[in-house]
Amino acid sequence: MTQFEKNAVWQGTLSLMVLRTLMTMGEQHGYGIARRIEQTSEGKLSINYGTLYPALLKLEQEGLISSEWGVSDNNRKAKFYKLTKAGRKQIERDTRQWAETSAIMTRFLAGNEE
Amino acid sequence: MRLFGVFGSTKSERELSAEIESHLQLHIDDNIRAGMTPAEARRRAVIALGGVEGTKEAYRDRRGLPAFESLVRDVRYGVRTLKKSPGFAMAGIVILGLGIGVNTAIFTVVNAVVLRPLPFPDADRIVRLWHTPPQSTFAGMDVFALSAANFLDWQAQSDAFEKMAIYRGGRWTLTGQGEPEAVVVYSGSADLLPILGVQPILGRGFMTSEDREGGPRTAVLAEGFWRTRFGGDPTVIGRTITLDRRPYVVVGIVPTPPALMDNVQVFASLSWTAEQRAVRANHNARGIAKLKPGVTIERANADLAAISKRLEEQYPAENKDWGALVRPLQADMIVDARSPLMVLLGAVALVLLIACANLANLMLVRTHGRAKEIAVRGALGASRLRVVQQLLAEGVVLGIGGGLVGFAAAYFGVDVLKAAFGDALPRANEVIVDAPVLWFTAAIAVVAGLVASFAPAWQLTGRDANDALKIGPGRGNSAGGEGRIRNVLVVSEVALALMLLVGAGLLMRSLTSLRGVNPGFDAGNVLTGVIDLPSAKYTTPESRNQFFDRVVEALRALPDVASAARVDSVPMQGGSIQYVQVEGQPVLQDSELPAVQVRLPSPGYFETAKIALVKGRDFTDADGFGRPRVVIISERTAQKFFAGQDPIGRHVTLKMMTPDPAEIVGVVRDVKMEGLDAAAGDSEAAVYAPAAQFALGGSTFVVRTAGDPERLTRSVIAAVRSVDAEQPILMMRSLEAIVEQSLGQRPLAMMLLAAFASLALVLATVGIYSVLAYTVRQRVREIGIRMALGAPARGLLGMIVIEGLKPTVIGVGLGLVLAAALVRVMATLLFGVSQYDPGTFSVVVLLMLAVGVIATLVPAYRATRVDPIVTLRSE
Repeated sequence: MTQFEKNAVWQGTLSLMVLRTLMTMGEQHGYGIARRIEQTSEGKLSINYGTLYPALLKLEQEGLISSEWGVSDNNRKAKFYKLTKAGRKQIERDTRQWAETSAIMTRFLAGNEE
Repeated sequence: MRLFGVFGSTKSERELSAEIESHLQLHIDDNIRAGMTPAEARRRAVIALGGVEGTKEAYRDRRGLPAFESLVRDVRYGVRTLKKSPGFAMAGIVILGLGIGVNTAIFTVVNAVVLRPLPFPDADRIVRLWHTPPQSTFAGMDVFALSAANFLDWQAQSDAFEKMAIYRGGRWTLTGQGEPEAVVVYSGSADLLPILGVQPILGRGFMTSEDREGGPRTAVLAEGFWRTRFGGDPTVIGRTITLDRRPYVVVGIVPTPPALMDNVQVFASLSWTAEQRAVRANHNARGIAKLKPGVTIERANADLAAISKRLEEQYPAENKDWGALVRPLQADMIVDARSPLMVLLGAVALVLLIACANLANLMLVRTHGRAKEIAVRGALGASRLRVVQQLLAEGVVLGIGGGLVGFAAAYFGVDVLKAAFGDALPRANEVIVDAPVLWFTAAIAVVAGLVASFAPAWQLTGRDANDALKIGPGRGNSAGGEGRIRNVLVVSEVALALMLLVGAGLLMRSLTSLRGVNPGFDAGNVLTGVIDLPSAKYTTPESRNQFFDRVVEALRALPDVASAARVDSVPMQGGSIQYVQVEGQPVLQDSELPAVQVRLPSPGYFETAKIALVKGRDFTDADGFGRPRVVIISERTAQKFFAGQDPIGRHVTLKMMTPDPAEIVGVVRDVKMEGLDAAAGDSEAAVYAPAAQFALGGSTFVVRTAGDPERLTRSVIAAVRSVDAEQPILMMRSLEAIVEQSLGQRPLAMMLLAAFASLALVLATVGIYSVLAYTVRQRVREIGIRMALGAPARGLLGMIVIEGLKPTVIGVGLGLVLAAALVRVMATLLFGVSQYDPGTFSVVVLLMLAVGVIATLVPAYRATRVDPIVTLRSE
């Protein structure tokens, strides 16, 4: 795959991670989401925080999240995101999808070892 | 840059900037809390973000900007990148500027002369009327002047035209208003001005009754002349002026017509007598007409063809085989200039292509260094299309820069072009740089920029871009896709340069051949001038002959004058073609008789022009007015009618001038009457009759001197004035200039093609060199290894040179094919050299190959000089 093509796959997984993070944290700004994803993966995932913003825009364009300007804990102005109802539904769907895919793959990989 | 700022700050952009700044601020706060300094905190935050611009880019990509904002952003980015490499930007702008500039200059001329419609109302309906002469007597001439009676019959019988007009142009002497002056006069029928849509600004135009004699002769002044000569005085209307020693009443002022007859000073009424209206066999007038709305050229031609047929039957003696031709005026005016202009247009297009190829090469070399940057941007999420777009924008910025430079250069260059074309360019004073030229320049600037940057942009963002991210030296891309594009560019540059060189070479040889043609006379050191005697002042034949005799005498008396004489017209300028009845040949109707060139010299003319007398004698003063008629014929005439016999003592009759037969007293060498490029043949068959026997009112004097003929001008004018103080002299020129003029457009076309070819050659050489130098640099590692393994330098040199010559050789092959096509277009300009002249082609091929070898040798040689250890280490 070229670098350009790898991106498409990456964007998909990143979106799901953002949605899950928002489901857990409620409202959060971009920086906060990035930090949280980093923590959740226990440091195994080290991404450029910048890749988050196009992902957030896409989710907003698809109506899965909504945004609003507000003030952070240390009094900084920031844009906050939160899940919409459609967003919640998407999480359920995507989570199921992932579980199925990983089950199939596990079976395959286990099968090859025989 | 401030300008672009206005477009950049939409709400969406502002919000994005704010969000990113806010993100950074939050991260910085965290970092400071963790103990970093503010500077370090900010630095780490930006790194973690992955670059501000990259993030914004990816975001905009996702968002899908409105096209305009995207375009503006790309252009801003392009400008910024170019500012970082001023050397490259300069080179690009200059290269494109050259290519675009020459295109703009030529297009300006083509636009004004060929494309823009004539500035007359209903210009598409205005046509030129010609006779088509019988090919048996006027071989090779496709059109001929009109005769009065034929025109009047056409006018009476045709229904295809709304208006028709006949006219003659000449220089008449204006006297009675201070210094006598020779003015350009067009005398024509009443519809002449209305056809051109010229409306009087004072007074009126001509009335139909003034086409015939009966009333006073009338004149209409052209505005320019009215202002300079009469100070714009409105009371000149109603005044009588004297033209050609005849009175003309001024009845109106008109604006000077553009394009056609734009040198006119006075329009005069026709005022023809019944005798003049009946002249059918003498063709010396011009005609224009306006088609009725809805009538096509074809219909008009068919109409006149039918009428001509009827006239042929009615007047077989005068009109046998005389047809008619109707041509749109614009096409008629540019008939001679069209071909060379099209050749030039093709040539400059090629130059621009070469410039684009060169720039594409440069961009490939340069963007290779940016491969990492581009690949990283790809990793951040920018789509391939966006990156290509950005690279194209860079190209377009260069194109626009080049366009500005080129436009400015062309603006000043157009004047040079006009001067170079000289009289040969019709509508020359309409050639100005205006809006269509500006749009043309803008369009080709953008297209050139796109073309030049497209290949590098596409190449760079393809699969191979991954390799740029690998650490370590490149593998030497000469085999890869990038190398292929480079080779294609070199091939095309070589081919195009070869084409232009062949064209220039052939033209150069044509000119050399032409200049080597022996015209039959010696044109060096001869001054000529035209004198038209006013018929009202010199009413008798004796008075006219006496005037010219006195003038020739006075000229001969001048110091520095070796010989002097007069003749009705010098070769390659004017003169007449007439029927001749030769003794012993069948007696036929006039129009079926053979035709010859007729000239009327005074004694001493052949000596002055150095036309060799091969038999018999020259005219003497004894062959004067009223004396027995004599003629001298040229060798071709003798060959044609008296082959093997002695023509001296035989007789010929020039029936158009006199019914009396004349005795042949001498034979002279043939002279090229029509031009240096005229094919040898009947156009050289001439009959000379003594000027004095016909007592002409107009003659050209010829004066031979030892040195520069132009220096004689003053003394010649004084000599003529000493005979008649009121007589002006027209068109004083050296005979050499007249002969040079018969070369037509060729000298100009050759100069321009040679200039373009040189330009193309330089560009191609630079292109080949830079491509090969780069390729060799890429293979430095391979070369180092080979040398370390013991390969001899010479063998390596040879290998690299041969490798480098491959595209050159292919280019030469391609160029030959294209050149074969080019020469067919140029065929009419060539003379004395075949289209596929092997000499020219071989020289050009060898030249291109030599250029290719040199361009490869230098970088190859330098490569083999490098210490192999150094190259192997430098990774």
